[in-house]
Amino acid sequence: MRDFIIHEPDNIGGACSLLLEFGTQARIIAGGTDLLVDLKQHNIEISHLVSLAKIGGLKSITTIGDEIRIGALVSLNEVAESLTVKKRLRALCKAAASMASKQIRNQGTIGGNIASAVPSADLPPALLAAGAHVIITSGESERKVPMSNFFYGPRKTVLAVGEILTQVVIPSIGKKTAIIYKKFKLRGANALAVASVATRITVAGNLIKEGRIVLGAVAPVPMIAELASEMLAGQIPSHNLFFRVAEAAAAEAKPISDIRGSREYRKELIQVLTKQSLDEAFKRATGGGD
Amino acid sequence: MYRLITLNVNGDLRTVAVKPNTTLLDVIRDKLDLTGTKKGCGLGVCGACTVLVDGETMSSCLLLAANMEGKCITTIEGLEEKGKLSAVQKSFIHSGAIQCGYCTPGMVMSAKALIDKSPNPTEAVIKEALGGNLCRCTGYVKILDAVKNWKTYSELDEPEMKEYDLEDYKVVGKSLPRYDARDKVTGRAKYTADIVLPKMLHGKILHSTIPHGRIIRIDTSRAEALPGVKAVIIGKDVPDRQYGVSPPRYDEYVLAKDNVRYVGDEVAAVAAIDEETAERALELIEVEYEELPAVFDVYKAMEEGAPLLHERYPNNINTSVDHHFGDVDRGFQEADYIKEESFTGNFTQQAPLEPHASIGDWQDGLLILHSATQVPHYVHYMLANVFDMPLGKIKVIRPTVGGGFGGKAETTPLDLISCVLSKKTGCPVKMVYSRKEMFLHNRGRHKQYIKMKLGVKRNGEITAFESKIFLDGGAYTSFGIVTVYYAGSMIPTLYKIPNYKYTGRRVMTNKPACGAFRGHGSPQPRFAFECLLNMICDELSLNPVEVRRINSMEADYHTCNDLDIRSCRYKETLLQAVEESGFSEKYGQLNDGHGIGLASGGFVSGAGYTIYRGQVQQHSQKPREPFQKKSIFPHANAIIKISEDGTQAVLFIGAADIGQGSDTILPMIAAEALGLPADRVRIRSEDSDISPIDLGAYSSRITLMGGNAVKRAAEDVLAKLFPVAARLMNCSPEELKASDGFIFSDKDDTKSMEWAEAARKYFNDNSSLIGTGWYKPPEGLGGDYKGATVGTSPAYSFSTAICELNVDISTGKVDVKKFWDYHDCGTPVNPMSVHGQVEGAVVMTTGEALMEDMVYNDRGELVNPNLHEYLLMTIKDTPEIFSGIVDSYEEEGPYGAKEVGEGATVPILGAVAHAIKDATGVWITDLPITPEKILKALKENY
Ligand SMILES: Cc1cc2nc3c(=O)[nH]c(=O)nc-3n(C[C@H](O)[C@H](O)[C@H](O)COP(=O)(O)OP(=O)(O)OC[C@H]3O[C@@H](n4cnc5c(N)ncnc54)[C@H](O)[C@@H]3O)c2cc1C
Ligand code: FES
Ligand code: FES
Repeated sequence: MRDFIIHEPDNIGGACSLLLEFGTQARIIAGGTDLLVDLKQHNIEISHLVSLAKIGGLKSITTIGDEIRIGALVSLNEVAESLTVKKRLRALCKAAASMASKQIRNQGTIGGNIASAVPSADLPPALLAAGAHVIITSGESERKVPMSNFFYGPRKTVLAVGEILTQVVIPSIGKKTAIIYKKFKLRGANALAVASVATRITVAGNLIKEGRIVLGAVAPVPMIAELASEMLAGQIPSHNLFFRVAEAAAAEAKPISDIRGSREYRKELIQVLTKQSLDEAFKRATGGGD
Repeated sequence: MYRLITLNVNGDLRTVAVKPNTTLLDVIRDKLDLTGTKKGCGLGVCGACTVLVDGETMSSCLLLAANMEGKCITTIEGLEEKGKLSAVQKSFIHSGAIQCGYCTPGMVMSAKALIDKSPNPTEAVIKEALGGNLCRCTGYVKILDAVKNWKTYSELDEPEMKEYDLEDYKVVGKSLPRYDARDKVTGRAKYTADIVLPKMLHGKILHSTIPHGRIIRIDTSRAEALPGVKAVIIGKDVPDRQYGVSPPRYDEYVLAKDNVRYVGDEVAAVAAIDEETAERALELIEVEYEELPAVFDVYKAMEEGAPLLHERYPNNINTSVDHHFGDVDRGFQEADYIKEESFTGNFTQQAPLEPHASIGDWQDGLLILHSATQVPHYVHYMLANVFDMPLGKIKVIRPTVGGGFGGKAETTPLDLISCVLSKKTGCPVKMVYSRKEMFLHNRGRHKQYIKMKLGVKRNGEITAFESKIFLDGGAYTSFGIVTVYYAGSMIPTLYKIPNYKYTGRRVMTNKPACGAFRGHGSPQPRFAFECLLNMICDELSLNPVEVRRINSMEADYHTCNDLDIRSCRYKETLLQAVEESGFSEKYGQLNDGHGIGLASGGFVSGAGYTIYRGQVQQHSQKPREPFQKKSIFPHANAIIKISEDGTQAVLFIGAADIGQGSDTILPMIAAEALGLPADRVRIRSEDSDISPIDLGAYSSRITLMGGNAVKRAAEDVLAKLFPVAARLMNCSPEELKASDGFIFSDKDDTKSMEWAEAARKYFNDNSSLIGTGWYKPPEGLGGDYKGATVGTSPAYSFSTAICELNVDISTGKVDVKKFWDYHDCGTPVNPMSVHGQVEGAVVMTTGEALMEDMVYNDRGELVNPNLHEYLLMTIKDTPEIFSGIVDSYEEEGPYGAKEVGEGATVPILGAVAHAIKDATGVWITDLPITPEKILKALKENY
């Protein structure tokens, strides 16, 4: 690793002004599990790191009404094991638990997973499905950005120089709604998603009121399969419907070929995972399932 | 920009000066000298660097030390209390969960964190907690056992000795924990990278960034000017002699003299005050290349006009083998059924958890090399040749080694470059490969392109077999000349094959060289053969067990390629594995997506001939000698010295324990032969000044060859001791026996005395009690044709593996459920170690079957030079494994023992492929059998 200077401000304002001061020469470090890998391999070159470790208030999971607020520095394992999260958005716990290894989950943070904007990242799909938003601060002011508007390319986000993601806010999921996360990986641990799907279904009576299908690792950013999602609204659930929706989701996916899987294979996986997640989500939304 | 920080490590406050970019791992190891915590990847994937931070496991290679103030850090050294091991540590020792020990500290930390929170974890919970800790040796089976049953194991005062049914022996046949397990579980064991010598510098290599080219100009001036840099060397600074493995094909220079031939080739090297400075300096070296056309494909490389890698290998053909035994044309005429099929292997790598490391220390008139090697003697020999100096002026030290699997079976660039840099600077120079460099250097398995044709009678009896194999060898020979012979020679050792034709070509391409990897050359051809045999069984509706039975190898058989099989219990491995697994009831009967598969294998117990010809002397001193069909010098040599008070024996033998356990097996054999309890023999195997030559850990040779040398050394001790004891007891030496610490008369019950007492007496009257022993393979092994030496061995092992698995038909994902393996290893000297080797081999090779694959792009660059994308199986992927040992005795082996280490890998690929066929109906003939390939095949077939 190249030499750099590490700053450990004890308040957000301090952190933001350091980031502003050093501009592209600076990076935030949270858990460092993504950043240090990049620095060690010389994928990025910077001369300042701004550590969030000493800033209070970023490490807790709180609820306000039915809304959950997760501080950016909450570790992946804390997300995976949080009863609060489990009760309201189990898919997020499952996604967190599916990641990396125990060690990396103890180090890595939810903020880092989102801000690093890696297309295969595991938390964003479930968060997008839940309609979550993030809170971003520049020290002076705060803004609220829906997760669906946060990413705009691999490793590219709306975060401007001097901005910090402080919280992830998950709204009330509502009744008769279930969210399921499915990930396909090539080995049991320390494996990134080859493809992943987060599916949300709300039922009303014997109809699907609305649904949302979010795809991971098959596009430059975690993407909502809009057409497939729309196909669900107002429909009577059936094997046939879910099958067609899964096909549509696969058609919408825009994967690339890489070492983990070819474009074609990823599309097939999307179809399989979408179908599975729809089946499970429907079962759970109607009160069955685990 | 150093700053002082105070860390709480193992309860002590330690103040150290660190730079902001220093990782916690580097501080723990380099500043606090707590070298128990290991580095296996540096990128958060292997878990070797696991420590506890406020009670939670973390990868210290991805933590900045500067961020750690105020946290409580626990390392492996913090688990012992006043010399008493913690419960988990004891459990790891007693359950046999430790082999090379490189993963052990990290594993133990993960286990400790888990048990502290949940003392009775389920298997699923354990696997989750240990998922981030890779182990290349154990197959995780005993690690899982250690954590699951930690209470039971830790409460044992004496480790449990699961006795094997060998009544004749006191020590042989006992499942003793490894002699070095305690050092490994406490972090005390020193691996090469853990060693610090006074004035030591750190070296790094500049690797070629292009696949093929001529070096036009190298400018090192900016690198040399960098403060902290002590030496920069390039091709002109290294000897003009080439080196390699096999003398006729030495084709590498210590640093490239003119051409570079793959991305990763060694171009220049730097020694500096620390690794970071050395790395900086590399960036300041300017190299100008004239890029030459490169070739990456085996078939293209052989075409007329293809870019040529070496003048001396026309058409890029490095080695050609054309063997014909019997008459295949006649054999195929006699066949009722003939099947032909093509298979493709994969590039896989040994990936020992410990990366290669060396410390060169060139003192006045004496060269000392510390090296993480499997073959200290061959490294010794190579240093003598390259530097043109007598062996006696060189000393090779092999510290604890963290796994090898063949990757450490040859002299590495680190071994040689560290010495050159040391000579130039006058300081010891340590060099350690990063994980990426491990992949760049490679020497992994050759990718084999295999075409096979098998003819059988209606009942499945083999009449003829033909095999044509092209091996992608990469840019240099390495072990390749041997590999291409092994790819042919091992086939007729398992079944009786009357007519056999083998055409082998090792081809050079602009990729890193391939070398020897566990099972050397034979796993992929064996995979192909077993698949082909199973395909024929399918097509002729024959029972795969029955067909193997009727073709089965037998004891005292001379194969068509002139190999002499002595003991052979192949049939028993087959029938017992079938019985234990319920194969016959399950095969073809399981539900869709579930399958069971069977394959067999076997291997040599030590190569019949040495790698270089002639006597032990420097290459430059002697003309090349013609080949003689006998061993010129003993392959294994041992000395046993008895302590002056007679209570302890110390065994000296230069056999390399690389995790396979020879430092335990050899003292056990010594103890048995001396008639002493196991704990009264220690071993010194690490230093060429102290211990006589053993050729090392390759070709699965140490138990048989080293064991025989040790046994003879012990017999030599007794031959000297018995006359003294006889005098003391008033009887004749001939009637004496030694066992369990006593010497007694066979004839008279009243005549008995303590072994130590007799030995003490011996010293007082005669000075040191020392015995020596040696072993040479029998004379005349093998045929008289070219290449007949490869595959010769004093003895052969046999095994059968059965695999049961599920395939998710929708994604192609394979979930391996269970393995049954029976091995004919002769007498198991230490059954726990035998099972450990089998379990490790099953998991390693199942990984090769399903997920391991080095992928190159069209510039010859490796796409996945890291453990995140080159996939080793984790504990979460590991099946349940049943390992059985058949009753067997090998006359040529010590107490009847032969091999298990390499042979255990050989049947696995075929068993996995067969099970996948049984589960899905499709054969996948190119490795690895990824989910994607399975799904594609399913779509094409249905
Ligand atoms: C072995 C291994 C396995 C992995 N497996 C997985 C996996 O299975 N799935 C997966 O999704 N990821 C995986 N990762 C990636 C990584 O661990 C996770 O993405 C993790 O959540 C990153 O969090 P961090 O706190 O470590 O981020 P850091 O490395 O600290 O930061 C990552 C990036 O985000 C920025 N950043 C961090 N926090 C903030 C903030 N609050 N505001 C603004 N910017 C911020 C940083 O500047 C940096 O650019 C793996 C990593 C490793 C090393
Ligand atoms: S060295 Fe840290 S995880 Fe491999
Ligand atoms: S014992 Fe686990 S890597 Fe060797």
